[in-house]
Amino acid sequence: MTTKLKEVDVVIVGLGWTGGILAKELTEAGLKVVALERGAPRSSENDYSLPNIRDELRYVVRHDLMQNTARDTITVRNNPQQEALPMRRLGSFLPGEVVGGSGVHWSGHTWRWTDMEFKVRSNYEERYGKKFIPDDMTIQDWGITYAELEPYYDKFEYTAAVSGKAGNIGGQLQAGGNPFEAPRVRDYPLPPLTPILASEMFTDAARNAGYHPFPRPSANASQPYTNPDGSKFGGCQYCGYCQRFGCEANAKGSPHMTVIPIAMRNPNFELRTHSWVTRVLKDSDGKRVTGVTYTNVLNGEEFEQPATIVMLCAYAINNVHLMLLSGIGAPYDPVAQKGVVGKNYCYQTGAGATLFFEGKYFNPFMNAGGSNATIDDFNTNWAFDRAPLNFVGGYNVSGGFNTPLPIGYRPVPSGTPQWGSEWKRATAKWYQTAMVINASGSVMANRYNCYDLDPTYRNAFGQPLMRMTFDYHDNEHKMGRHAAQVINDIAKSMNPTRLNPAAARTDPWTVVPYQSTHNTGGTIMGTNPRDSALNKYLQSWDCHNLFVVGANVFPHNSSYNPTGPVGALAYWTADAIKNRYVKNPGPLVQA
Amino acid sequence: MIDAMRATVALFVTLQLAGAARADGDVARGEARFQDCAPCHKLEAGANNVGPSLHGIFTRKAGELGDFRYSPAIKRSGIVWTPETLDKFVTDPQALVPTNRMPYAGMAGAGDRADLIAYLQSATK
Repeated sequence: MTTKLKEVDVVIVGLGWTGGILAKELTEAGLKVVALERGAPRSSENDYSLPNIRDELRYVVRHDLMQNTARDTITVRNNPQQEALPMRRLGSFLPGEVVGGSGVHWSGHTWRWTDMEFKVRSNYEERYGKKFIPDDMTIQDWGITYAELEPYYDKFEYTAAVSGKAGNIGGQLQAGGNPFEAPRVRDYPLPPLTPILASEMFTDAARNAGYHPFPRPSANASQPYTNPDGSKFGGCQYCGYCQRFGCEANAKGSPHMTVIPIAMRNPNFELRTHSWVTRVLKDSDGKRVTGVTYTNVLNGEEFEQPATIVMLCAYAINNVHLMLLSGIGAPYDPVAQKGVVGKNYCYQTGAGATLFFEGKYFNPFMNAGGSNATIDDFNTNWAFDRAPLNFVGGYNVSGGFNTPLPIGYRPVPSGTPQWGSEWKRATAKWYQTAMVINASGSVMANRYNCYDLDPTYRNAFGQPLMRMTFDYHDNEHKMGRHAAQVINDIAKSMNPTRLNPAAARTDPWTVVPYQSTHNTGGTIMGTNPRDSALNKYLQSWDCHNLFVVGANVFPHNSSYNPTGPVGALAYWTADAIKNRYVKNPGPLVQA
Repeated sequence: MIDAMRATVALFVTLQLAGAARADGDVARGEARFQDCAPCHKLEAGANNVGPSLHGIFTRKAGELGDFRYSPAIKRSGIVWTPETLDKFVTDPQALVPTNRMPYAGMAGAGDRADLIAYLQSATK
């Protein structure tokens, strides 16, 4: 039996960064908002203070802040010829599942994606010709511009306490920043983090090679900070437990200590935790949505929450899943290349080297989430000619550490036995002496990389699991080979005692080892309903009172971490709803 | 001779400053220094956050609030909070109370600490 509740103005599904931003902005605009979060309530004072954290077993091995795969997971395959099997233990990516979502356990890396991404097809066709883009590469322009998003990037960076060094303010290049970034109106709210030895050594080597290193911008407050909303940040303590942990110093920009508590103080807001949304409900003619159904996972009670506006703000994969389960928008068919929901799932690629220096002490247990130096010479640098290499997209290269866990991080030179006394001797000898150089590469959309509903496996609510079909293609292999060469050249110039060189990924993608929680696409934004699910305001082309927010709206994946545009687009959508939609409900873009 | 006297006076002043908290703190500047503490500590009675409420701190022993989960190190420290002991603690918390759980590296400037403590003396009453 389903209990029908009283209608509210807005129901938000999922309370992480996007849900938190929208909850704050829309309640301040006077709307009555209910947020439904599948996970538990969590706070800095109760959950992320010592002695409850710095626990690798709890957070890294047992995934305390992540999705419970016993309740719902996805099935995975590399291509349509394979039978997909369920991922029974989280591996390649880690969707969050508590109040704050993945914004609790991220590292804080905050980038501005630019018109290089938003106009990807136009850019490459204009410079290299239409034939340069392979037939099966389904990249398309996003329908939004960097200029439109700039104020919202700024707002997110100042909310989340991003530390960094601007490279381009109003067209003026700034020494020490990224010379290839798009112009920003002003600098980051906080100066860069204190560099660590590994990032300094990488910086010197990259500069000597003629590249342009800069400190990675990160939402790790380099000093105490009060954001424009009055949320207070402590200075980063370089404790080394960033990625996969809540921050014990309130120094990592996270929704649970910024936007969510502000919404919680507003009488227009109500949060219901342990609430698993099973479906978005449509009215009889399918032109509008009327609310959602959800299950209280603690006692199994089912509810219908009617709402004037529905906002899907869950993890990227779950947002797409809900659209497919609810029958909103035409499901994507990779053979006929028709339909839009499930289209253009993308991931990221990479390559990495480990360098060992006898006599150096890197103290890898001591760093921030963003203690890296980065080069963008093969990424947002449009002067980097892709023609001889024949790939679309790019990669950034960074040197330094991000949460090398004291127990889990065991660097040893290749050739070392993987267990036994020889391994023990090697890990003791080399632990302090190792540093890493990594590339993170974009993944362009491919017609066969997509989501649909699994025909066999079901979740705890009896619904079909989401099926993911994904593999790397030639474009990623070519990029990976180039990235490995660049990394190895830099690494050799640093003259390490031993080097585990970088190698391009050429094996099929596997879901088992952790790679990155940067899953994008599935309900993509675009200029028309034929090839996208949402318009530029993240509003459904099919149902105008449904908005879908998160990295699931990206038509392809860049080399950068996604949270910058995820946060900016949440503010952008909030403004569109507050300033336009509530005054005149209807499509914000005419199809 | 005069130079030597000056040096002696300077040395004497330095020792004085190192040995005890300065009493010449500025409350307004101290409020700005409190930005280091505010993400975790509130000033209202009973308002525990990541750190315990600082209300009435100068009338308390370390680890005394019943509704806050202190580290064993703080509870057994035996510290009675005075401007002097708080000055020592804030200088380098791990040096004075090893293994305490406050994630803060310390406030190096004696003048900054004097300002902070002056502010806390007025704001925690």
